[in-house]
Amino acid sequence: MIILLDTLLVTLILTGFLLLGSSRLGASIRISALQGIMTGLLPLALEHGDLFSYVSLLGVAVIGLKGYVFPRLLFSALRESDTSREVQPFVGYMASLFFGILFLMGSFWLDTRLNLPVHSSSDLLVPVAFSLMSCGLFLIVARRTAMSQVIGYLVLENGIYCFGLAVVSGMPLLLELGVLMDIFVAVFVMGIAIYHINREFDHIDADRLSALKG
Amino acid sequence: MSAENTLPILILAPLIFGGISLLLRSARGALRFCAAGTLATAALAGITAYNVLRGGPAETANGWLMLDALSAQHLLAMITVFCLSSLYALIYFREEAADGRLTPKMAGRYGGLWFGSLAAMMLVLVSNSLGMMWVGVEASTLMTAFLICIHASPGALEAMWKYLLMCSVGVAVAFTGILLVAAATGPAGLHGMDALLWTTLMEAASRLNPMMLKAGFIFIVIGYGTKAGLAPLHNWLPDAHSHAPAPVSAVFSGFLLNAALYCILRCLPLVEAATGNEGWGRSILVIFGLLSILVAAAFIVMQRDVKRLLAYSSVEHIGIMALGAGIGGAGAAAALFHLINHSICKPIAFFCAGRIGQIYGTHDLPGLTMIIRRAPVWGAGLIISLLALVGVAPFSVFLSEFLVLKAAVDHSLYVVAALFLLGLGVVFIAVLRHIIAMAWKPAEQQAGPVKFSLPEALLIFIPLAIVLLLGMWIPGPLLKILSRAAQVLGGLS
Amino acid sequence: MNTLSILNLLAGLILAPLLPGIINRTKAVFAGRHGQPVLQTYFDIFKLLRKGAVYSRTTSWVFRLSPVIGLAAVIAAMTLLPALSAPAPVSFAGDLILFAYCFGLLRFFLVAAALDTGSAFEGMGASREVQFSALAEPALLLGLAALARATGSLSLTGIFSASAGPSAGPALALVSAALFIVFLAENARIPVDDPNTHLELTMIHEVMVLDYSGPDFAIILYTSSLKMWALGALLVNVLFSFLPLHGPAAVACVAGSMILLSVLVGIVESIMARLSLLKVPQLLAGAVAISVLALTLVLRFTS
Repeated sequence: MIILLDTLLVTLILTGFLLLGSSRLGASIRISALQGIMTGLLPLALEHGDLFSYVSLLGVAVIGLKGYVFPRLLFSALRESDTSREVQPFVGYMASLFFGILFLMGSFWLDTRLNLPVHSSSDLLVPVAFSLMSCGLFLIVARRTAMSQVIGYLVLENGIYCFGLAVVSGMPLLLELGVLMDIFVAVFVMGIAIYHINREFDHIDADRLSALKG
Repeated sequence: MSAENTLPILILAPLIFGGISLLLRSARGALRFCAAGTLATAALAGITAYNVLRGGPAETANGWLMLDALSAQHLLAMITVFCLSSLYALIYFREEAADGRLTPKMAGRYGGLWFGSLAAMMLVLVSNSLGMMWVGVEASTLMTAFLICIHASPGALEAMWKYLLMCSVGVAVAFTGILLVAAATGPAGLHGMDALLWTTLMEAASRLNPMMLKAGFIFIVIGYGTKAGLAPLHNWLPDAHSHAPAPVSAVFSGFLLNAALYCILRCLPLVEAATGNEGWGRSILVIFGLLSILVAAAFIVMQRDVKRLLAYSSVEHIGIMALGAGIGGAGAAAALFHLINHSICKPIAFFCAGRIGQIYGTHDLPGLTMIIRRAPVWGAGLIISLLALVGVAPFSVFLSEFLVLKAAVDHSLYVVAALFLLGLGVVFIAVLRHIIAMAWKPAEQQAGPVKFSLPEALLIFIPLAIVLLLGMWIPGPLLKILSRAAQVLGGLS
Repeated sequence: MNTLSILNLLAGLILAPLLPGIINRTKAVFAGRHGQPVLQTYFDIFKLLRKGAVYSRTTSWVFRLSPVIGLAAVIAAMTLLPALSAPAPVSFAGDLILFAYCFGLLRFFLVAAALDTGSAFEGMGASREVQFSALAEPALLLGLAALARATGSLSLTGIFSASAGPSAGPALALVSAALFIVFLAENARIPVDDPNTHLELTMIHEVMVLDYSGPDFAIILYTSSLKMWALGALLVNVLFSFLPLHGPAAVACVAGSMILLSVLVGIVESIMARLSLLKVPQLLAGAVAISVLALTLVLRFTS
């Protein structure tokens, strides 16, 4: 199972790199969906084959939400907005990728420094979580369109989810449901917000939302 | 009715009211229902808080819901803000409802969101579990985001998007902090669902992993600090405050920020107990508090918009509360007293600014002249509440700021005290300049005074009179509430 | 130095010009054409060797010297390359750095010669070549570093004769992916460069050698084939390092895999379009990122 788990984790990092380097919104949504599915598979790989445990059910729910519902919502928002399908970065793709590399190395360094009491069988889980969280924050800060910021938020949530899997044993039910419910609502709201912003401005460009200063 | 029985009702009642107001088909009716429902909830909350303050902390639902002195004190501040704002909404939206700018559908949605945010903030205050508290904060973010753009103007949408994004990220960061706190319970042998109950955590505080708890606290301060508007994480705040309708701005400033600060304050005694009361967690709050005061002072000097000015003033006052709680001891009690003063004063200031904005058609400071003559109630109310907010002597805000300063000096934190005074001084001068211009600068074109009614005057001046009264005489029960709440914070023993 | 390693080197030297032929034949099959003979590169080289060379008056000794130095550098690199467990003719601790920088030397002289002609096209090609290889080189070196760390050996022979263990599986897969991108970029294949393009403005590698003719150009063609063989063999070594092959079987496996690799390149060229020049650095930065990830993983598992 270690190989399966490590492969999943490595793929998660690679999807992070892909998101940093991809220039099309549609592709970004698909990659983030893939990342969501990978995140959902993680607890299944951690559980050593106990397919009907509560944790596995949680994983299935995550896969359903992040792999199907969110992408559909985002795609429908993208269709309705009918604007540029480019990501429009503040920081170029090359520079973003190098930032991603820096985040990766920083995450591994931080992990060795913190030495968290980890419950999982793979010692990659925490650094991967840190690296996803920093990637997500970077995407939120460094991308101009509202849609890419939503995707960045999803990546951040994926990172936090991995982090939760690593550090919390037993996993309090309500907390996990809280995460799911809230990101669902958050993205739903953001989707509607994009629709509103689009209707009002004819674009989904959060950068031009800069009249308010000082 | 004992407090144990009423705790669940406190959350359920606003939810039910919210559902009903979505069904209402008249704008005026929805607004009236809003006020009535809020008052009813407030009465229930008042009784519950009274019981708790008399009989000690109440716990129910297997310990998941809990109300102690600290949360009861916050609860009282919250219902004050909500009651005042819901009454004011009747006045603020009167013209808009009459000429159809506020459609019945919008008013219904407004009511639903209003009660939704009330329920969410109630959940923050009455839940004992750090996880449920977090759910409450996140839910209040989502509810209030839509309250900002009841009127979908470009500015309001931009403000909403900024608010939503920054606070969602902040709340996600806070969640990481909660995960770390949960991980810190490992050595204490806490398991499963009870691991995040505040009372359980406090009992086991000495056995928690201090390093993990420290890391968690940093995440929690940064995360909730974004929502509370602590500098340098306050960017969303002036936009959201200035573009929301005035009753909503009042709720934002009067209690939404405090609800997030409350979550930080809840974790403070936990960290202090686990790290041996060395003041590590407090010093973080002192730094953030001072920074907020100074940053807000700098922005207030440059402000040209009255609602943004009030918003930055909120950053300043949240900073003062964080500073007081960070100093600890008598400072914590002073911070809680300051919370009450601010929660009465700031909504009044927003009410007046909102109406004046409607009358003048602008929020630009240079355009607001001779406001006392043009709109006697609102102009005088704005000027008096601004004077109270900057800490002019007989008002209670002066008293609480003075107590925070005294606590800083008593703890030999002279640099902190000096910086605190510097920030207050800058704000004082900057706001006073604007007040003089608003009151006496001759108007470019004269217009007759706007008529006002007795209820409007009462709504503005009774709270201001209370603030004035509190500045000269603090009633015994209030003093008791404050000292009991400060005890929870680990302040006065 | 034993017969097996000599056999391996000879296989490379003799079979290398076959690779472009196979790639072209694969592309022809995909396009439904008959295509040129598989041995076309050999024919070209022999034809060019029989012709005389023309030199522009503006060129200096650098222009005449660089094909020879390039050929020497690539052959030096090939002597360092083992075939799975069959050792290389020459090996010492740290030879993987020499391996990487043999290609650096080749590139330096190729670029110097291109600049020596003073032609605008060739200067432009040189600039692009340097820009892209500045990104491809870290990817190659970091990938090699990951391999060295995983096996604890600093020579190529040592790396491929030792087994890295199953925990390094994801890291090896990542290194292979990065090396494949480097392989395509260094050999001027699609999606980085299109060897069949007819417009000098879009060329990278081909435009640098426009001024060569006769035997010099034959050497350049042969050098390119050898470079493809050397980098390809490195990739094949990484991919099949887990196979327990010994003796002639290992050499045969590498040679056979080289054929398969050329078919794969042909398929890639048939189904992909060339990336725009602005996107190429992104692809190469991706390769660097993958190499860094592989190195980080390896550091994690071996510490």
